[in-house]
Amino acid sequence: MAHVSVPMYWRTIPQRYRLVGQKCKKCGAVNFPPKGVCKYCSASSEFDEVQLSGRGKIHTFVLISAGGAPPEFAEQEKAGGQYPVAIVQLDEGPKVIGQVADADPKEVKIDMPVTAELRKIYTEEGVIRYGFKFVPATSGK
Amino acid sequence: MAVGISGYGVYIPKLRIKRDDYAKAWGSFSAAGVSEKSVMGYDEDVLTSAAKVSRRALESVPLGPDKVSRFALASTSAPYIEKLLSGTVVVSVGIPNSTFTSDHTTSTRAGTEAFIAAAEHLAANPSGNALVAAADAPRASMWDSVEHGLGAGAAALVLSGENLIAELEGYASFASEHFGERFKTREDELLHDLSVKKFSESSLINSTTKAGTSLMKKLGRKPEDYQHVVIQQPDARVPSTVAARMNFTDAQLSSGLISKMVGDLGAASTIVGLAAALDASKVGDRIMVISYGSGAGSDALSLKVVSERRATVRVQEELDRKEYIDYVKYLKIKGAIV
Repeated sequence: MAHVSVPMYWRTIPQRYRLVGQKCKKCGAVNFPPKGVCKYCSASSEFDEVQLSGRGKIHTFVLISAGGAPPEFAEQEKAGGQYPVAIVQLDEGPKVIGQVADADPKEVKIDMPVTAELRKIYTEEGVIRYGFKFVPATSGK
Repeated sequence: MAVGISGYGVYIPKLRIKRDDYAKAWGSFSAAGVSEKSVMGYDEDVLTSAAKVSRRALESVPLGPDKVSRFALASTSAPYIEKLLSGTVVVSVGIPNSTFTSDHTTSTRAGTEAFIAAAEHLAANPSGNALVAAADAPRASMWDSVEHGLGAGAAALVLSGENLIAELEGYASFASEHFGERFKTREDELLHDLSVKKFSESSLINSTTKAGTSLMKKLGRKPEDYQHVVIQQPDARVPSTVAARMNFTDAQLSSGLISKMVGDLGAASTIVGLAAALDASKVGDRIMVISYGSGAGSDALSLKVVSERRATVRVQEELDRKEYIDYVKYLKIKGAIV
């Protein structure tokens, strides 16, 4: 299992629960997930916090089927079947990875508008790890 | 100063199972009048649903999450027995950490309990904004007939002193001692019901009629003054039984009777029903809401619709967005076979 310790997970709650990103004070690019040094200009480690909208479009995606899921997602795959994992281009610029929920895997398409919402990601050490997944934008925010 | 509902939002998970699928598996289906019910997905729980409806309710006003001065969460099926639940929602929605929050969890009355807690906050802080989120997906053993009707859904309300959709006219309560119906001991993960139907129903009827009648007496109202009546919906038949005792008609129940399509929403039952009634209401309409929680208690709320503004996402849209699953898939998602 890709182990993420409880304190490590806890430190990333603002980005996982409500997509808090950072805007580079030097070049103005939006970094998500937050970085130590700006990914775009590599010249600044000073940022302003920004609340991302959670809206974006599917840049590309893959369907995870039986046997392909990492151990922490294996039970989810067994209960719910095949699930999509997408790289989503957010309206604010950054590309992020997330599962696509509430969508028929056969209907997921490149450029499909999606929006982020809170879901259970997996449970480890009895602690439910919440975070964002993407859902089709038509089902609201 | 008048306080009331300035925004609301609803969420019904999209999975549904039909009563026929239960009948095929068990030979019968025990939730009267329920034709299908909603089911949460594997990666959802009452906290993810509460976060979703909280956002929707705030957007319907619209009101920034930073303006919320009181947050009350209601559910009987929280993922943790001990641990603050409202904190998850507060952080996910962006409500200030300084906001006083409360978790209402011990009976299906919790939805109106949270509502009244929010109304009391506004009485003391007239310029505040309170957010009430009720989300529930009650769980029982598949061997227990009470399990058949258990659905899933959530609704949130914003209570304020301005920009009102519906004004709160008053509320009344009834609390007493009753047992044997719908309980969960400290050791249980799933709820029990001793299935002594008439005994349980007598408590529900007694509590709801007492709370409802005393509220109408307090406000000088008659049953016919209300266009919409929402009564706790453990199934789709019980509200009619209560309504008949109180001289309400089935026509008054129709706009808020969501259990036919989603099943028993527990602590969210009356709040989702209220949202459906608001969707269908006209300016000047009056809405009566009467909750019930085993053990036993009931709260009654009286509201008057004062604006044509409605939520962006209608309850009907949530009811129409659905995907059917069969009973085997249902058991897998619920993790019923360990």
